[in-house]
Amino acid sequence: MKKLLLPALLLTGLRAAASTPPDTAGTAPVKPAPSAARRAQHPWYRPTHLALQTGGGLGMVAAGAGYEFSKTHLETDILIGYVPKHYAGSTLSLASLKFLYSPFHLPVGEKFQVVPLTVGAYFSYTHGTINDELKGQYSSDYYWFSTDTRYGPLLGSRVTFLAPPVAATGQPRKVSVYYELGSNDLYLASYLNNRNGGLGFGQLLTLALGIKADF
Amino acid sequence: MCMLPFTYLRRWGRGLSGIALLGLAGCNLIEFSPNDHRVPEEFTNLTEKNLARLAARPLPVGDTLRFVFTGDSQQFYDEAEALVASVNQQPGISFLVVAGDISDFGLAREMQWVDEKLRRLKVPYVTVIGNHDLVGNGRPTYQHIFGAFNYSFVYGDTKFILLDTNGREYNFDGTAPDMAWLKPQLANHDGARRQVVISHVPPTNDDFDPALRMPYVQALREASNLVFEMNGHNHSASITQPYNDGVTYVNSDAFSERHYMVVTVWGNKQFRIKRVAF
Repeated sequence: MKKLLLPALLLTGLRAAASTPPDTAGTAPVKPAPSAARRAQHPWYRPTHLALQTGGGLGMVAAGAGYEFSKTHLETDILIGYVPKHYAGSTLSLASLKFLYSPFHLPVGEKFQVVPLTVGAYFSYTHGTINDELKGQYSSDYYWFSTDTRYGPLLGSRVTFLAPPVAATGQPRKVSVYYELGSNDLYLASYLNNRNGGLGFGQLLTLALGIKADF
Repeated sequence: MCMLPFTYLRRWGRGLSGIALLGLAGCNLIEFSPNDHRVPEEFTNLTEKNLARLAARPLPVGDTLRFVFTGDSQQFYDEAEALVASVNQQPGISFLVVAGDISDFGLAREMQWVDEKLRRLKVPYVTVIGNHDLVGNGRPTYQHIFGAFNYSFVYGDTKFILLDTNGREYNFDGTAPDMAWLKPQLANHDGARRQVVISHVPPTNDDFDPALRMPYVQALREASNLVFEMNGHNHSASITQPYNDGVTYVNSDAFSERHYMVVTVWGNKQFRIKRVAF
């Protein structure tokens, strides 16, 4: 199921991109009724962007799609990540869900936008760990934590390049690069259990670098 | 892949080493997964590196041997600092032993954090793998950062045999402890006068493979000049002979108990253990 999810998401995105008509600014004499056309071009289930990132505990490479709810500055991303065996001892695939809130969008000239602050949280599930619990191996509360599910906070920024909209539909297009500093429940637990400075806050951090394309 | 250029950078001089370190930190910051075990080279093969440090300061022949015994450092970073400060005041110590559960979640960062504390000891330290170190992808992680699960070394006329007894982590499949490895180890002192066996889960515990419990206990009973068998896991200090067979089992404190043991061995199998608060 999980193996199918990524291609399915990408296909949805690609088909959507392919079905977008080319720029026809000079030749389209009549503008279609905006809201109806918009709905036809952008049904509710079609993701608003594709994302590709490295790090952040979500994969050496993680790709996926997401939805942006522009009125509320909320976003959600679904990513499928991959870590080669060389780096983790076994090949890992990760399914992640991110929720992001970016209150400020600052225009810089006509073509750029800076999003100085994105706060959020993620949840991830890792498939492929070596010592995955077998039935009956442990009593129910033997380890208090899960080896496969992680969650944690995110904090980041992004710069967005605003491409000219698709003239036929007025559909905006943009490409963003972003970073996210994050951590996870286990690192945070370790920090909180050592209140005399046994761990520095910087030791908990992870970094993700990524790119997002809205279409 | 991103370490290579920084290794070259480092050679260019001291001024640049700061930049190199930043670069390395940056590489680690981009964590692929918490199970990703990439760490800077200085945090790899720690067992081998510590044993090399130990070999560089040999104990004069015939001297009594003194070492510090502790265990279960998992998540106790505040205590680790206090422990290091205290152990560094102990005279005549040759090394320190952590009886497993270095980490709580089997993650590379945790093992690195513990090493960052323990590398401030004036003496080298050695570890044996614990059940928490085997969680998730802890197996390759421990292997990469510390080294072998089963190994032995000779120091100060004593052979130390350290082995994985975390049977439950292998779902009691009969591989831990590896009796086929242990038996010849016990039979050959490698020139030492006496021997010590160290593992994490004691044979008296439910997490020890029940099918291997009696073979293990029997092998220890039959071993010549075995001073004692040492474990962690219980987070509680004890010195007992649970099988009434003349074999002494020593259990360590966890770091959280704020105690460690100073162990002195001499003669064929004489020992004295002093418990120290920190």
